[in-house]
Amino acid sequence: MRNLTFPRRTALHLALGSLALPGVARAQQAQIDPLISGPTPPGACRGGRVTIGSLVEPPALDPFRQAADARIRVSVLMYQGLFYEDQSGVARPLLAESAAASADGKSWTFRLRRGVKFHTGQTMTSADVKYSYDFMRNAANGSPGAGDLSSVASIDAPEEHTVVFNLSRPNAALPMTLTNKYGAVVPRGFFETPNSGTRMNEISVGTGPFKLKQFRPNSTLTFERNPDYWQPGLPYLDEVTFVTMPNSAAMVVGLQSRRIDLAMFSRPQDTQALANAPGVQVHRWPSLNQKTVDLDCKYQQLSDMRVRQAIALAIDKKTVMDASISGYGTVIGTMVAGMQEAWGVPIDQLPNQRVDLDRARSLLAAAGHPSGFDIDLTTIIGYDWMDAAAVTIAEQLRRINIQVNIRKLDLGVWIRNFRAREMGFTFNDWGTTPDPSLLYYRHFRAAPEGADFRNWNNARASALLDRGQETADPAARKAIYAEFQKILAEEVPTIMMFSSDLLTANRTRLKNYVQHGTGWYFGLAKAWVEG
Amino acid sequence: MAGFLGRRLGAAAIAALLSSLAVFLLMRAVPGDIIGQMLGQTGSDRAAEQALRAFFGLDRPLWAQFAEWVGGAVQGDLGRSWYQGRPVSAMVWDAFLVTLQLAVLTLALATLVGVPLGVVAGIAQGTRIDRAIQTFNLIGLSAPVFWLGLMLLVGTSAALDWSPPFAWSGPHEDLEENIAILVLPVLSLAVLQAAAYSQFVRGLMIEELGKDYIRAGRAKGLTPRELYFKHALANVMIPLVTFMGLILVQILGGVVVIESLFSLPGLGRLILSAIQGRDYPVVQGALLFVVIIATTINLAVDLLYGLLDPRLRP
Repeated sequence: MRNLTFPRRTALHLALGSLALPGVARAQQAQIDPLISGPTPPGACRGGRVTIGSLVEPPALDPFRQAADARIRVSVLMYQGLFYEDQSGVARPLLAESAAASADGKSWTFRLRRGVKFHTGQTMTSADVKYSYDFMRNAANGSPGAGDLSSVASIDAPEEHTVVFNLSRPNAALPMTLTNKYGAVVPRGFFETPNSGTRMNEISVGTGPFKLKQFRPNSTLTFERNPDYWQPGLPYLDEVTFVTMPNSAAMVVGLQSRRIDLAMFSRPQDTQALANAPGVQVHRWPSLNQKTVDLDCKYQQLSDMRVRQAIALAIDKKTVMDASISGYGTVIGTMVAGMQEAWGVPIDQLPNQRVDLDRARSLLAAAGHPSGFDIDLTTIIGYDWMDAAAVTIAEQLRRINIQVNIRKLDLGVWIRNFRAREMGFTFNDWGTTPDPSLLYYRHFRAAPEGADFRNWNNARASALLDRGQETADPAARKAIYAEFQKILAEEVPTIMMFSSDLLTANRTRLKNYVQHGTGWYFGLAKAWVEG
Repeated sequence: MAGFLGRRLGAAAIAALLSSLAVFLLMRAVPGDIIGQMLGQTGSDRAAEQALRAFFGLDRPLWAQFAEWVGGAVQGDLGRSWYQGRPVSAMVWDAFLVTLQLAVLTLALATLVGVPLGVVAGIAQGTRIDRAIQTFNLIGLSAPVFWLGLMLLVGTSAALDWSPPFAWSGPHEDLEENIAILVLPVLSLAVLQAAAYSQFVRGLMIEELGKDYIRAGRAKGLTPRELYFKHALANVMIPLVTFMGLILVQILGGVVVIESLFSLPGLGRLILSAIQGRDYPVVQGALLFVVIIATTINLAVDLLYGLLDPRLRP
């Protein structure tokens, strides 16, 4: 039995230990694991309220059935999974205390934390865990997270504080799958209450540091301190209110006039107005997000790999990044910046990363387009960075005689096309849970196991993704994903351009706020206010 | 009178039904639905999709969905929001109160400023005062509302180190906060409407003051005050009321922008977010409500004519 146990209260050592490894993301150099094991801030005091400005608002709060990132951002305050997605790519114990996989990798035993109470007052047991994940993995319940649990065959609850996940195929990424993106542990039987999904807009039933106080759509979302929270002494804040703001100018004004204490900016350059604002601090954090150009491998000229390679060779990622987010980010190859050191292949070892117009032109000629062609490039309304990026890329592709027509789409329409695998040639903006399997599998594994949104249908890549998911040994896993990334860069179903940094600005009265690379608000559990 | 009202109400009911059908079909013609939004960029799990489609009744024929909605609507049941779970009627009503407060305050301010400006400009036609007022009208009519709103927001912050609280409070919850929230949005909307008023009233006054009865009045030795305010202004009232109705409808339309700009949870924002989220019951219920409101305002304007001018009584 391979034992990946995390003994109680040694998570700090683990996190510190991971610092010594060469392959650790940038975030860890600045801050150690903000939620689970970071040191208690000196001088922290209990109490106080903060107001947070947000450009997005969750459409609804059900963590099981709403995929929107705006929902996940705040859900992590109320709901928790068995593990926490440490940015180094390690799943840290959250409601679980330890994880152990059987020798064949097809059975995982999790010991649960004791003394965890739901917001409803009930005590969490293994039956609740089984109930919650059984609900999520049953596709008939409509959870977007069901697909991630497709390897789970059954869940047992042999003891009050032990759950066993039995798998149909080994899945080394299981702990990272049981983190906080979709689903959570909720009291057993909760979904039998009528309208359980929309009921979650009125009450929270999770185990997180904050409870839902009030949700007023199109206006505010308020949380209050959970007095029974299982991490002793946390959280510090009594109340957190999110206010939906129309644009970043309003957030800048709100911070300057002391109406809001914290805001996260989607376009990093918008924080420039705050550089010299008294009483306001701006922080820059590495992110797990990526800005890409996706290429539907069945769409018109893109069905020819040489055309896709030519496009990759004509795009200068750095220029696109400078134009669209004023350089506040990191150019990437085939891995998001936050995970590059742990899992990425260095850019100079990947094909099709350097601009080479001569090669691009000869590839186009070989593909039967010596004088180029016209193509539509899709941007999404509300994603401002795409507008500047589109103009820049149109300019760059013109140099190899590809004429780009920019098409702007409503997000709902874009999602429909994406899910129907009719994306064409489009920008995309997405984040990941920090594990390579969760990053790649659904997007690039051929159907039916994966969704293969880009119609890539690549057998070699799929075989590697299967092996990567099944392999537990970190070094072997890393080698598998390195091979996968080389194929990805060679065949260009996507061009991962850059990860944009997360920029937060806060009033100085708010202390110790740490921003997680996903953009989710884990850090509020340990933030506090002065006075 | 009863026949007139009956005919108008009948026409209103037909208008409501036809516009509801149009909204119903248009929303479904827009690509993408709530299921795509709930499942997002994750795998297209057919089973999950079908389960959700059945849950929302989207697997049934269109006519059956529409018939069920109409059946509920005539009994006052507009259904529940797919995201919020709250009754649509309650959500629409709450949002309407916000919009109504914004619209009424804007209309009041625009009328109080715009009508006197128009009267003065009309009387003082061609003078420096007239030109100053016309300049204001030109600026007011040509400045886009979103730009004006943003400039006011940034300007007050820079000049006064003040900004409105962005979290909504109703007048019954916290009146002071409520006023603080509404000052800038009302100002941004009212400038445009006051300019429109002023321009309109100026034209009416000039036309009225050129008429024979004014000359006759002047010859009779009436004072300017009697001439302008008793006679000319009285005749300007009818078109003014029509215009007020138009302005009110226009404000109700313009609030979409201003509600978004100042984070006000009003009707415009409710409809916009429901369209983006493909929350069909909310879109249908809210737009039906808007149709009813617009029809009522038009009817009220027609009835007001009769009050102001007996010759126009139906």
